[in-house]
Amino acid sequence: MREYDIVVIGGGLAGLMAAAAATKRGKKVTLLSLGSGTLTIGGGIVDVMGYLEGGIPAATPNAGLLQVGAEHPYKKIGRPAIEESIRFFKEICEQEGYSYIGNLDKTQWIPTAAGTLKPTCLVPRTMDTTELKKADKVTVLGFDALKDFYPSLIAKNFKKIPAFAQKEYEVVMIDPKLSEGRDVTALDVARWLDTEEGLASCIEKMRNVIDSGSVVIIPPILGTRPNYAVKEKLEKALGCHFVETASVPPSITGLRLRTMLVRYLKNNGVRIVEQAIVAKSIVEDGKCVAVITEGVDRERTYYAKSFILANGGFYGGGLLAEPGKVIEPIFNLPVEAPTDHELWANYSLFSSEAQPFAKLGLDVDEKMRPLDANGKVLLNNVFVAGRNLRGYDFSFEKSGNGVAIASGYQAAMSV
Amino acid sequence: MKKHHNNPDSCTACTVCIANCPVTAATRKFRGPKMVGPTLERMRLSQDDIEPSLEYCSNCKNCDMSCPSGVPISTLNMLARAKYFKNRKRSLRDWILSHGEKMAKLSAATPGMANFGMKMSRGILKKIGISDKAPLPAYASKSFSKLFKNLKQTSYPDKVVFYPGCFINYNDPQVGMDFVAVMQANKLEVIVEEGFVCCGSPLVVNGFLDEAEENAKQNVQILKKWTDKGYPIITCCTSCGLMLKQEYQELFHIEGVAEYAKHLYDADEFLLDLHDQGRLNTNFGTLNEKYMYHAPCHLRAQGMGLPGVELLALIPGLDVQDADAGCCGISGNYGFKDDKYDISMEIGSGLFKTIKESGRDTVVSECGTCRLQIGHGANVKTLHPLTLVRKSYEAYHK
Repeated sequence: MREYDIVVIGGGLAGLMAAAAATKRGKKVTLLSLGSGTLTIGGGIVDVMGYLEGGIPAATPNAGLLQVGAEHPYKKIGRPAIEESIRFFKEICEQEGYSYIGNLDKTQWIPTAAGTLKPTCLVPRTMDTTELKKADKVTVLGFDALKDFYPSLIAKNFKKIPAFAQKEYEVVMIDPKLSEGRDVTALDVARWLDTEEGLASCIEKMRNVIDSGSVVIIPPILGTRPNYAVKEKLEKALGCHFVETASVPPSITGLRLRTMLVRYLKNNGVRIVEQAIVAKSIVEDGKCVAVITEGVDRERTYYAKSFILANGGFYGGGLLAEPGKVIEPIFNLPVEAPTDHELWANYSLFSSEAQPFAKLGLDVDEKMRPLDANGKVLLNNVFVAGRNLRGYDFSFEKSGNGVAIASGYQAAMSV
Repeated sequence: MKKHHNNPDSCTACTVCIANCPVTAATRKFRGPKMVGPTLERMRLSQDDIEPSLEYCSNCKNCDMSCPSGVPISTLNMLARAKYFKNRKRSLRDWILSHGEKMAKLSAATPGMANFGMKMSRGILKKIGISDKAPLPAYASKSFSKLFKNLKQTSYPDKVVFYPGCFINYNDPQVGMDFVAVMQANKLEVIVEEGFVCCGSPLVVNGFLDEAEENAKQNVQILKKWTDKGYPIITCCTSCGLMLKQEYQELFHIEGVAEYAKHLYDADEFLLDLHDQGRLNTNFGTLNEKYMYHAPCHLRAQGMGLPGVELLALIPGLDVQDADAGCCGISGNYGFKDDKYDISMEIGSGLFKTIKESGRDTVVSECGTCRLQIGHGANVKTLHPLTLVRKSYEAYHK
């Protein structure tokens, strides 16, 4: 019977990072994935800790880490491991030619396509705001027919942000001539720039509307591949600095990150099984022996010494909500939740409090092993990572990818 | 996760499928899987809604594979296509491409003449909408079923049923013969049932859903009969495999599919399972050879990883590198169509580039039409993994 050292369940950022850390340790890893995770929806940047309770911005990610409650995954993981995980993530990016900038001691406020700023920790170099902050004059460049990126809205809203109010804004448009066929998204423009002809044509069009030396805010369009070739060629040809905004799905920066991590895993011998619907487990004497997938044809059994459960929360299917209770379907691990499910939601719109349902999830020890209500370890060789963890609302506090990286790493290091 | 529920409302419009759709990447004429699939399906449920760009979906399944919510997007597209053609006239082109089995049977008497005729008539085919550049497969001089009938197998108590499918039967029978040889080397006797018909995959993609269902009914009855007797069914073609085990369940309501699907195997996976049980003949001779590997989309969609890669790793000396460069673009008969040929080649361009850059002159892949497209696009030789397994067994005895 084929047996692996580690089976990772889930192909989102937590699962990918867990597999990366495990393979780095020389482990033989199988990753079971269903769908391509949420990285392509919104995840090209790494938020670690943006807002504290009450909606107060954390001074730095590091400062924010000190202020989280006892239930928070960061508390379980601890600062040394969080720091190591961030270092490890940046190391992979560097090695793969798609380096990320930033560190835990600084919040990076990055522009969004709505003309607001959002706090984050690590960003690809295409989102570096160093030059943007220094500039007196900023150009906002849009593309004809591109939906979801309106340069004049961005310029107007930036005028309302104190740190950006004194700058002068110029709005310019170019026509990528992509209007034939379907609606244009940033993905279409990025793919246009992936091609040599597209890039040359874009440079030509940009030359007519941007002056050399400009700082230019653009949608995330600097190619779909995890490298900086498009950025560097554009900047060299035009003598400008480009800054990509955070934007709506599909996320180009997330697509690049996922492509890079999957490539890293495959190059390091991780076996990836797509379309694997993990439905149940075989547990003997407090240890998981195997997990079982339910294919459309039959069940398949995957044996391993250890298992990392990173199959997401309510959205990814790692947790299932039923009236009055929450179910973890693979191991049937306990999830503490109010039986009155009216209490799961915070009904006030734009509230300064987190959503209670977002904080529902699995309780773990410092090694990420699942615990029962009395704090006893339930399964010795199962480690939990990512959105199924209890005690954090990633959307409210801006911590999603940070928790994914730190918990995925910690799980793999605890095996 | 509930399987085979075709509810478009499970789609959260997250757009992951758009990012993963090879057709969307290759042409702006396709509005993309999310829009054409679940979004418009909500409209189609209440009225006759026509979406012209539906014709661009190639049913490659990359949207289904990327969906975090388990929506069978490509199947929604195929059902919509069938609905569209319900009261419309089909082109001769689509009829010919969908009825490869009928065409093959007509040509079976004189395959040499048929091939000669096909070469001469590429101009005529072009006129009806089949690209004159596309890598149309030639008919084999003898079909698999003829070759198989003349083959003397050693009888063994353990038997397997082989579903050859049209491509192996009429175009590439050697793969079937290699399969039989590999089974024999594992002390298994192969049964081939005359009553099997085309799985229906080429019919489904061109909207001939009713005919596909007729085929399905016939196949289901036979498949069920054998699995009820305890025999496993094996395919070497990943698109046939996917159709028989999965798409029948998504497209039709025929009793028995779920039952036999439990015992329907891809050949590589079947051999790996034998290996897990300690029953695989591991007398593999060394093959000091280098190959590229291409994973067919319709294999990846089956949720069993890449068994071909794992199987070939058991052969000493063999160096097989996974190209991992996405869809080849052919998608059954999609790339044969004149108006889709360029799209299909654009989709495969990344794969062709990867193969050419590897410097390896032969590509291994389970799918017959992938092999045609790769041979055409990357100018290399192609093989089914089982051909190498057979070669390795033979090398052991040399």
